[in-house]
Amino acid sequence: MSRVFLRVFLALAALALWATPSLAAVGCDLNNPERDVPRLFPESTSYQTVYFSIATQGGAPVLKRIENRLGASYLPLYAPIDVPYTRYEIYRDKKKIGYIHGVNQKGQFGGIQLFIAQDLTGRVKTFYLQKITGASASKFRAAKFAKKFEGITLRDFDSYDPVRGKGTGKLARIPNPSPELETDFYGILRGLKKNLVLMDEFVFAAERGKP
Amino acid sequence: MITPFEIAYKNLLRKKVRSLLTLVGIMLSTWVLVSLFGFNRGYEAALNRDIENMGYQIMVMAKGCPYEAATMMLQGGKGLRYMEQSVVRDITKEPEVDRVTPILMQAYFDPNKGESGGIAGFYGVDAGSYPAMKPFFRFRKGGWFKDNAADEVVMGYEAAELEQREVGDFTIVPEKNVKLKVVGILERTGSQDDGTTFVPLKTLQRIAQTDQITTVGVKVKKDADLNSLESKLYQLKDVQVVSFSQVKQTIMKLVSTARVMVFSIAVVALLIAMVGVVNTVLMSVLERRQEIGILKTMGAMPAHIFLLVWTETLILCSLGGAAGICLALVFSRLTDMLARSILPYAPSGGLVAIDLKLSLLSLAIIVVVGLLSGLYPAWQAGRIRPLESIRGE
Repeated sequence: MSRVFLRVFLALAALALWATPSLAAVGCDLNNPERDVPRLFPESTSYQTVYFSIATQGGAPVLKRIENRLGASYLPLYAPIDVPYTRYEIYRDKKKIGYIHGVNQKGQFGGIQLFIAQDLTGRVKTFYLQKITGASASKFRAAKFAKKFEGITLRDFDSYDPVRGKGTGKLARIPNPSPELETDFYGILRGLKKNLVLMDEFVFAAERGKP
Repeated sequence: MITPFEIAYKNLLRKKVRSLLTLVGIMLSTWVLVSLFGFNRGYEAALNRDIENMGYQIMVMAKGCPYEAATMMLQGGKGLRYMEQSVVRDITKEPEVDRVTPILMQAYFDPNKGESGGIAGFYGVDAGSYPAMKPFFRFRKGGWFKDNAADEVVMGYEAAELEQREVGDFTIVPEKNVKLKVVGILERTGSQDDGTTFVPLKTLQRIAQTDQITTVGVKVKKDADLNSLESKLYQLKDVQVVSFSQVKQTIMKLVSTARVMVFSIAVVALLIAMVGVVNTVLMSVLERRQEIGILKTMGAMPAHIFLLVWTETLILCSLGGAAGICLALVFSRLTDMLARSILPYAPSGGLVAIDLKLSLLSLAIIVVVGLLSGLYPAWQAGRIRPLESIRGE
């Protein structure tokens, strides 16, 4: 009888701990998903929101693995392991057709919120900067600049280093629309790589069966 | 020798399901009761803490701008009303006033925030007087501005996190394109300060091209008469006074309506649980009429039988009450989250405060009410006639 009570108590305690509100880190959500999802993924008919963090997806070992793929300086400055990421799974009728995912990235005068819509192979369909601060920010948010990222995949970063800004391929051919704001330009490229790596780590690798 | 307590306990175990259901009823009503008492204490304490964290008890602002934050959200800087900085001098003269701090709030439209742009708010504070109002501020890194005209900012934790700023980085004032250096990042406070960007007062006045202010924070001396000070402040020209004690009273009034409703539900739950107790014990007495009759023929007095049955009630109520208190403690965070999702305004920090004193008080209420409910079945048991009950079987 006492064992049963102990089990019940432990189950209740676990539930109570789960319900403990923590001081959450700032995540990256679409401001208005009802409006933004159809705009970023025009063929979508519905979406599902999935919340996750590195802490909930394996914790410190996963953080280490991501850091190895990215370099530590890529991750958020504040509480990288707790940052809640939001993944929008996109559906056309009942069939999943892609994902939308955003990350925060440090920019020259403020945080950059960078979203990508990807098809099921991980190819970028739409690129969207939800927030970027600075006098020339509008140049980075222009449709002309966003269009340059269509078709990019994580493999494109094999031949391009966004930290040093050196390399070849599609990424190297993207011009900086505001040359006076180099930090923002390379911040955007680093944010894109981070976004692609996180999606690869948490979605595509799992679908492939290995990281 | 077997004690009356052991007999009562064994009697309850005879009908396990019935006893368990009664226990669950008591447990649930205790849970509601303890959570409600805990909320009653916790909410007020959290509200007081939030008001204390403001650093000042009274805000004086220009007439026509009662809810500056809402105005900033809806209209940006254009909706703000200003007042002369000389008001600070007038307020300082009042004997009830301990400290004052002038504040200038400004909001600028940033077209690159989201699809349709957003508002970036800045809080101009006096480097001399404002930090003294917030002695509990702790810096994660860096410190306050060098002076009141420096091109610097101090950021709340969440503001810095959102903007991905570190000490030494620059931020920019939208519309004006003025660059400001981040010199300090605060630790979390759990209040609205976490999302605030503080700018030296004169710097923000220069950016906004004004020498006026929007607000004066007033810290009142201990034991000073707040009402008398408020009346005097209302005499100042074109200002209005917002006292946090008024705000607190208004919020408490709003919450008390909800509290009365929940309290009524708790009372009904308690009554239902007690009817369950009466039913369980009375059924148990009726089923054991012959047994009680035999006990009486063996010399048991009505008082012994009464005590025996009453002990069953005591056991049920004590166990159910204790389990309900445990449940309330274990789920206090969940209750907190639920309350937050329902209430129109929830202060920061824990809303449900359950401690040992409160737990014991609730247990005492449950046991006393339970024992009162157990009086009738125990009295019925005590007056069973031995021969009649044996013959009746």
